[in-house]
Amino acid sequence: MQERLDALLTSARAELAVAADDAALEQWRVTHLGRRSELTGLLRSVGSLPREERREAGQAANAARRELEEALETRQTELRRGADGAQLDVTMPGYPVRLGSLHPLTRTLREIRRVLAPLGFRAVSGPEVEWDRYNFELLNIPADHPARDMWDTFHIDDKARPGELLLRTHTSPVQARVMEQIQPPVRVIVPGKVYRYEDRDASHEAEFMQVEGLAIDKHITMADLRGTLTYFVRAMFGPDRELRIRASYFPFTEPSAEAEMSCHACNGDGCPVCGGTGWIEILGSGMVHPKVLADVGYDPDVYQGFAFGMGVERIAMLKYGVTDIRSFYRNDLRFLRQLR
Amino acid sequence: MRVPFEWLCELTGIEASVDDVATRLTNAGFEVGAIHRAGEHWDRIVVGEVVRIDPHPNADRLNLPTVNTGSEEIQVVCGAWNFEAGDRIAFAPAGARLWDPYADEPVLKELKPTRIRGVVSRGMLCSTKELGISDDHEGILVLDSGAPLGRPLAEALGGEVLEFELKANRPDALSVLGIAREAAALYGTQVRSPIPDDRAGEHGPSQPVQLQIDDPALCARYSAALVHDVKVGESPAWMRDRLEQAGVRPITTIVDATNYVMLELGQPLHAFDWETVRGGFIGVRTARPGERLVTLDGQDRELTPETLCIVDAEGPVALAGVMGGLDTEVTDTTATVLLESATFDPVSIRRTAHRLNLRSEASRRFEKGLPPELTVLALRRCVQLIEEIGAGRGEILTADAYPEPSDPAPVALAFDRIERLMGVAYDRGEVRQALSSLEFGLDEVCDELRVTSPFWRRDVTAPADVVEEVARLVGYERIPDTLPTGQVMDLAPGEIDERDDEARDVMAGLGFAECVTYALTSEARMARLVPPDLLDAPPDSPLGDEDAWATVRESAMDGAGRALADRLLPLDREPLRLRNPLSMEENVLRLTGLGTMLETLRANRRHADRDLLLFDFQPSFLARDGDLPEEPNFLTAVIGERVSAGRWNETGTVELPFVRGVVDELLARSGLPADEASHDDLQHPTFASGASAAVAYRGRLLAAYGEVDAEVAEAFDLDERSWALLVDMPAVREASAGPPSFSAWSEYPSALRDLAIVVDAEVSQAEVNDAILRAGRPLLQSARLFDEYRGEQIPPGKRSLAYALSYAAPDRTLTDKQADRAHNRVVRALQHRLGAELRG
Repeated sequence: MQERLDALLTSARAELAVAADDAALEQWRVTHLGRRSELTGLLRSVGSLPREERREAGQAANAARRELEEALETRQTELRRGADGAQLDVTMPGYPVRLGSLHPLTRTLREIRRVLAPLGFRAVSGPEVEWDRYNFELLNIPADHPARDMWDTFHIDDKARPGELLLRTHTSPVQARVMEQIQPPVRVIVPGKVYRYEDRDASHEAEFMQVEGLAIDKHITMADLRGTLTYFVRAMFGPDRELRIRASYFPFTEPSAEAEMSCHACNGDGCPVCGGTGWIEILGSGMVHPKVLADVGYDPDVYQGFAFGMGVERIAMLKYGVTDIRSFYRNDLRFLRQLR
Repeated sequence: MRVPFEWLCELTGIEASVDDVATRLTNAGFEVGAIHRAGEHWDRIVVGEVVRIDPHPNADRLNLPTVNTGSEEIQVVCGAWNFEAGDRIAFAPAGARLWDPYADEPVLKELKPTRIRGVVSRGMLCSTKELGISDDHEGILVLDSGAPLGRPLAEALGGEVLEFELKANRPDALSVLGIAREAAALYGTQVRSPIPDDRAGEHGPSQPVQLQIDDPALCARYSAALVHDVKVGESPAWMRDRLEQAGVRPITTIVDATNYVMLELGQPLHAFDWETVRGGFIGVRTARPGERLVTLDGQDRELTPETLCIVDAEGPVALAGVMGGLDTEVTDTTATVLLESATFDPVSIRRTAHRLNLRSEASRRFEKGLPPELTVLALRRCVQLIEEIGAGRGEILTADAYPEPSDPAPVALAFDRIERLMGVAYDRGEVRQALSSLEFGLDEVCDELRVTSPFWRRDVTAPADVVEEVARLVGYERIPDTLPTGQVMDLAPGEIDERDDEARDVMAGLGFAECVTYALTSEARMARLVPPDLLDAPPDSPLGDEDAWATVRESAMDGAGRALADRLLPLDREPLRLRNPLSMEENVLRLTGLGTMLETLRANRRHADRDLLLFDFQPSFLARDGDLPEEPNFLTAVIGERVSAGRWNETGTVELPFVRGVVDELLARSGLPADEASHDDLQHPTFASGASAAVAYRGRLLAAYGEVDAEVAEAFDLDERSWALLVDMPAVREASAGPPSFSAWSEYPSALRDLAIVVDAEVSQAEVNDAILRAGRPLLQSARLFDEYRGEQIPPGKRSLAYALSYAAPDRTLTDKQADRAHNRVVRALQHRLGAELRG
């Protein structure tokens, strides 16, 4: 039995090696593995062998069958590599895949939301055309206050109510809108477009995105603010980032703080990204001004909390190494594809 | 605000380096934006002395000074005349480097010996602009006579200047003394106040000056001092240097002295030529109808009734806090001067300065709110300076009107409030130390501190203000990192709809690149969305008038088109207009993002020939009477003609069904099954007729899509067929049924039958499809269109549609016979109802 199998395998292998196309392979398959093939005949005859030989013969015949099947598959693969026998070039580019992309600002905003969500911040939005009252008055910036110079404002030409409608200059009015509607605890972030009456250049836009953060409760402290910001810059820019804050002024926070992080490009050694200082200004923040709380009906002796605000383009520029803020609004596919 | 470092050191006794001082002040909230080091670029520039001045033989407008450089005498050619023999000047010999005064950008240029009108010049007498000290290029810089001859100029001038970026809440910091108080508190030194002691008794008033304040709300205090025997001339070099370093141009003694006091103490002063003030009277009131004033800049101004002015017995002599009058200006012949030191209402000054576009160093300070206590101190200091520089003999205080003295109440601060707000403990000694170093008055009562602000700190009015003072003086380094604890809030109002994210993901998955575009646009850009002849409005003009639109609506739109024009593409609505646009290219808020997106398509077409699939998902702005505008988030997509298909260079051409595929997927993913919405013909001038469709659900328009009208495409300079898709996503949300629900399919094998029919071309696919589904019930599982054919083999006016039908029963395997029977029912129904014929 084994001898016949060996002979059969030898001749089958030899024939397979010269089979050069699908038809020849099919012919070979019928001859050696088909219903009328010698091997099939041998397998059928196993049953007629003496009981003690059956097992061994059966195993041998089945092994031979498997071997021939594998040989056939290998030969098929060889042949398919190319009609002329040439090897397939795996360095050929793939066929075009038509998958689109999200805008880098959308991606950055999502990342900011994702980072802050575990701390309980919910994302809310508010109107881009806003009343002066929300954009300024309720944020402790009365009419004719010199602090208004901090925000160059686009005004809407509205005959019925002159001077009242404007394009919001920051996302902060949504602070007041949220607090007017619900009682603490409050923990929200506000992503959205804001507008400044400002000539455009590589680092200034008349339209840009901000994210505002607000946390109000009975015991939210400035240390909580600092901890939140440290957590944020590390989640966004890597665990080695250091945060430092320094005194500043915003009409709607007291105390106020400007936050900087150690430069992610040079780790604080000084490089062009951080202007050689090792530190990068990242956002403005502070403890919500008691007047802002009182004006929305919160008792400032009971409730306190923090607010912060950052420019999304700035974060994206740092993350992606973009040097001109206007790139985000040109929507050049080469830019969008690069940052997909 | 520019503060010469040497001045700051003089008032504080600080001996630290300029960098250290800059860092500590920045951290305490006084941000140093830049440190200017005058002299850091000075190279070989020395103090020289003009030995003599010879006339230029060939040019009357030039002269030939000979300069002693300390080691040699050099003759140069000079065009300035503001110096004489014996003056010490800044001399740059040939080879030195100077700022080019004629360059737009700061450029250093090496000075070379040159021949000017036949005479060789081997150096130059420098102006302040060439030295990089100021922008003043009128005349050369004449130094103090004590400047060391032959020594580097930096020894005579130079020094660092700190440039502060100051915040709106600290008027006191708009002065060298104010910064000095902060610096002294940070370094633990004593402020050396330049304000002289009260010597009021020594020079009593020589004559009465009558003061009258009409409204103390507009002018809290007005103090005045007379200066006699005035000598108007050039101030001494030390004063001019400091003024220049601080960015103020020296003029003449009296004006320089008032400016010096403004820089030093923060109180703007004004000097009147007393002899030109009529009636010995000074009043402060708002202007009366018809009053006019010629201001210092020579402009004859009509005064509006809200303008606060200074008047004499007969009328206005100055715009309070903003600009003086020409008639009362101090001149070379002035003998007696009245110095004004007043506290004006910040709002009034701010409004006037803004209205007249006259914002000055003085108005900037008044706007922030100055303390009335400062007026007399500033006068005292100014009189002292005038006497010191020999410019006159002053009275300490001639007259003072302060109708309603104010005395701010102390702020009560519980000690534990500090830790409660900051999240870190401060010990009481530290708190007291911080506050008293800033000259706050302290009174401790049990666990409470009563804090009285010094008069210059009117910004501190509440406990949180005091806490900030402590925190920033101790340093924010003290604050640790903790995370907020406590209860998490419920759903917030205005919460961002996560489905917006999903819609973006779907579009990106369908091959579209997301764009973020400007909300500001022009009417012209939106007007280009309608063929130009249609509205009969000139190009780049507003969007046409009501009548024109009524005609367009009547003649160029069907019902779907009008529904589109009502909301998703509301080109005939009045857009929200900016009162102060940056340019006419962006003077309105967009009604639709389509114009901007077609421009974006065009811009990308310049560098790409396929796969131009773009979308934008940002609000449009629809005005509402008496309310904020509606800001619906409309989705706008645009598509170029060719898309990749298959192998590397294969492309397909975009046709209407391509866009429909996008619409169906987007709607389905938004919870609106594709077969729920109806697609109908759309007539709208933005879209090509016969190649566009409107999508509606229960009569409400959800979306419109199709080929962009050829003329519109041309208006956007598009050189190929382009497609657009507009989706009212808020309406889709309202129509959607929520999450999709599961329905089971048959576990038994399906019987497949193809069906090719020929029908009248007027019969829509939707009708055929509907008839198939109805007739096939209950065994028909699905009908999938796989081909459409019109042409030779079909009679004209007809078309062939081919479907793959799949039959199955829920509980058994269908026999061929059962499947055939069901299929035949479908065929008969098509024949009877739609006049279809089977195609052989």
